[in-house]
Amino acid sequence: MREARFLGLNRYCVWRTGLCVVLLVFSVAQAGAADVTISVQEDAGKPLDGAVAYLESAAAKALVKPLTGAEIGQVNKHFVPPVVVVTVGTAVNFPNRDTVRHHVYSFSPAKTFDLKLYSGTPAAPVVFDKPGVVDLGCNIHDQMRAWVLVVDTPYFGRGEAGQAIVLRGVPPGAYRLKVWHPRLPVNAPMWEQNVTITAAPLAVSAVLKGLEP
Amino acid sequence: MSTAGFWAKRLGKLGLARRTALVSVGLLFCIQLVVQFFIRDRIENSVQHNVMVALDSSANVWGRLLDQNAEKLALGASVLAADFGFRSAISSGDQETIQSALENSQQRIGATVAAIFDTNFELKTFNGGVPDPALISSLQNFARSMAKMTVKSQSMPVHGRLHQFVSTPIKAPSTIGWIVMGFPIDQALSADMQSLTGAKLLLYQTGAARALLFSSVAGGAQLPVSTLSGDVGRIQIAGEDYAFKRINQRTDMVAVDAYLLAPLEDARAAFGYMKNVLLLIDVAALVLFALGSIELARRVSQPLNALMEDAQRLAIGDYSQKIPDFGRQDEVGNFARAFDQMRQGIQSSQAEVQRLAYWDRLTGLPNRAQFTGRLEDLLRSAGPDAALSVMVMDLDRFKHINDVLGYAFGDRVLQIMAQRIAALLDGSDRMVCRLGGCNFAVVLPRGGIDAALELAKAINLALEEPVRHEGQAVDLRVGVGVCSHVGAFDGTLADTLIGRAEVAMYAAKRSHSGLKVYDPSLDSASAQTLSMLGELKQAISHNELRLFLQPKIQLRTDQVVAAEALVRWVHPARGMVPPMDFIPFAEQTGFIRHITIWMIDALARSWHDLQPPAGQGPLRVAVNLSTRDLMDPEFPAKLEQVLQQHAVPRAGLCLEITESAIMDDPVRAEATLNELANAGYKLSIDDFGTGYSSLAYLKRLPVSELKIDKSFVMGMEGSESDAQIVKSTIDLAHNLGLSVVAEGIENDAIYAKLRVLNCDEGQGYFMSKPLPVTDFVAWRARWLVQHGVMVDA
Repeated sequence: MREARFLGLNRYCVWRTGLCVVLLVFSVAQAGAADVTISVQEDAGKPLDGAVAYLESAAAKALVKPLTGAEIGQVNKHFVPPVVVVTVGTAVNFPNRDTVRHHVYSFSPAKTFDLKLYSGTPAAPVVFDKPGVVDLGCNIHDQMRAWVLVVDTPYFGRGEAGQAIVLRGVPPGAYRLKVWHPRLPVNAPMWEQNVTITAAPLAVSAVLKGLEP
Repeated sequence: MSTAGFWAKRLGKLGLARRTALVSVGLLFCIQLVVQFFIRDRIENSVQHNVMVALDSSANVWGRLLDQNAEKLALGASVLAADFGFRSAISSGDQETIQSALENSQQRIGATVAAIFDTNFELKTFNGGVPDPALISSLQNFARSMAKMTVKSQSMPVHGRLHQFVSTPIKAPSTIGWIVMGFPIDQALSADMQSLTGAKLLLYQTGAARALLFSSVAGGAQLPVSTLSGDVGRIQIAGEDYAFKRINQRTDMVAVDAYLLAPLEDARAAFGYMKNVLLLIDVAALVLFALGSIELARRVSQPLNALMEDAQRLAIGDYSQKIPDFGRQDEVGNFARAFDQMRQGIQSSQAEVQRLAYWDRLTGLPNRAQFTGRLEDLLRSAGPDAALSVMVMDLDRFKHINDVLGYAFGDRVLQIMAQRIAALLDGSDRMVCRLGGCNFAVVLPRGGIDAALELAKAINLALEEPVRHEGQAVDLRVGVGVCSHVGAFDGTLADTLIGRAEVAMYAAKRSHSGLKVYDPSLDSASAQTLSMLGELKQAISHNELRLFLQPKIQLRTDQVVAAEALVRWVHPARGMVPPMDFIPFAEQTGFIRHITIWMIDALARSWHDLQPPAGQGPLRVAVNLSTRDLMDPEFPAKLEQVLQQHAVPRAGLCLEITESAIMDDPVRAEATLNELANAGYKLSIDDFGTGYSSLAYLKRLPVSELKIDKSFVMGMEGSESDAQIVKSTIDLAHNLGLSVVAEGIENDAIYAKLRVLNCDEGQGYFMSKPLPVTDFVAWRARWLVQHGVMVDA
């Protein structure tokens, strides 16, 4: 069985979140749910890895619950994982596993914060309460980059290496399909498309333009 | 006159020293002028070249400075853009906060213009005066180019000053926008340029209105904006020379013309010291050269001047002073020494000339010149009643002494004679000299005729002692002429006195009296002689000469076989002039040659008339030749011409020559005789026996006849020795193959005796005196009849 996997969580977190999602998907699938397959390409038709796709709708928004156990650690002066997709209201921990201190910050409108020089796990996790792209950096180490995509829907997924994104058990209805990639410039619009989900599986192809190198 | 000629003349008037100095200094000056000009030209070239090279490197420096500045500014800007506070302020979204954050950053970094563009290059914030749309657009483009990383910075004029703009992204941490900052760089850059390269800067804004942006050149602001044109060149600003170079347009420079200027004076200053030193060296060289040249030339000209004074002394005949050699061993010294040797040479040769001029070498007596001078002095200083005598003497037979006993003995005779006369006069004021040849003269300064006669007697006495020569005693006899004068004279009389004494002497010799005192009548005779030459010429042209013939008889047959031609002069006033009165004179003056030719011509004219009737042998006519004729190399040709003219055969002529005529110059005489003999003429020796020539000598001559002198023939009757001489002569002549003619047959007895002695022919008054041509023919007819001479059939 193929299942959507939430990238960027540790095993424990993956296991817990996965259980929740399976339960959720089961309930929807019982009402005639379908799979949506999104293949993402760059300008020149080259398959693009690491893109995130999600389906928004009012019904979906009503189903959103914060995730638990989400974290972005700092290992060897890198954010691990560098990209995390969370639902609105999710609290994310930023454990520092390096011996040097970090100063994690974000000036993004979706969540502006900074965690002044610290080591170990900061006392309070950061709660991402608004949907949007949160651009993270370390004020001390310019090369450390991470993104938190805060979504207002339970239907999201991220493409694995060489494979299309599959959103499983999406109940029929009208959705707005959005595709994002960390290489999209700040303030650049996401790839968006209205899709109608029926009982039949749906395959969508998205071409992302204007990606930064 | 040409200018060059003028200067050459002016230069020539200067002394050698000045001229040499002037010319060499002038040349050196010209060379230095050329060198100076060349060096200065090279220096100026070098200055300009150096300046241009310096400007090139200044342009590179300018580029580097711009790049460095850009990096510095970019670094500053990026540091600023990375500032957390700044970034958080920018991210706040509050325009006022953003504005103030930008201002703050600007102040921190010193940017006068700053702008923030978002990721779509939309202007978010601007700070730095009026946001002119063109400027904004320009900055926008720049930010775009920066985002594409095609440029690093951009320089352009803003608000009348050159600004350099840099741009840097604002990262949060993704690029959320671009901040562009502009810095006025003109002053700082110009100061850097000035301190690094010394170049000055002129910046103009280009575009619609060209305007001065910046000038670090004094007076550059006043320069009209379009004065500078071209990429390189020279320009004068506020009295200063500059080389300028337009900086190649850089892609990151917009709307700016930048010129770098380098003052040439600075570059020239580097050479200034060298130029001054060179000039100093040149001037010093010129001065030293001038001094050296003057000194050198002076070392030549001073001795020259001294030598010139010496030469002037020599010119006036003062040879006594030694010419100094200035103690120098060089050419000048050598020249002075050579000059002194010349002085000594001239001095000694002058003395020799003096000696030759005034002394007789043979006898050591004063010569005629000194004698005349002395005489002139005496005459000048003589009082009104002073008496003075001049005596001239001539040695008798001196020519014969020379001929017979040799010239060496003749010389000795003259020396002895001189010694004896000098010994007589020794200690007196009388002076003896040798006038020439065997002529001596004595002056008696205070003596009249009596004193002179007394002296003459004493001299004769002194000469009485014969001179011995190889056992022979030679008597010395002199003919003396005396001329005395009483009263005042002037010096010009000296020659006259000597001449009168000579006239008297010749008269004495002629009269064999031994001594004659001058008498004016003697003088007129000599004057007569002097005019004779003209009269002789007239005699030929006026046909006053007559041809006379004296027959020669063949003794054996009594036949008239020949005749001797003789000349007679019928003078229109004096009547018949005897040959003795004009022939010696003619021989002496050389006029005899004309007479000889006249004779031959007259003879050739009559020759055919003189020939006997057919059957008899041809009549041979003899002509006397003088020594002058023998010396004339053209004589044979003249003779030939005359004979041809009248068709006379050569054999019809006989040429008679006296021994003495040959002996004057035997070599030339013999040459002429040989030529005549070879031509076929019969030659005869005349007056044989009076000279000193031997038969052996005559044998060498091409003669075929010998004429015995009449003195022997005439003496035959009374003197047995003369008869013996005639006989031996005839025998000897016959032995030598010569025929013999006897002259001076005056009677029948001699005629007969000669016939007995086998003499070939005879001539004399016994047969006939010389006759005119017509008379001769008549006489011959009579003679032949008288002597019953048979005419050959």
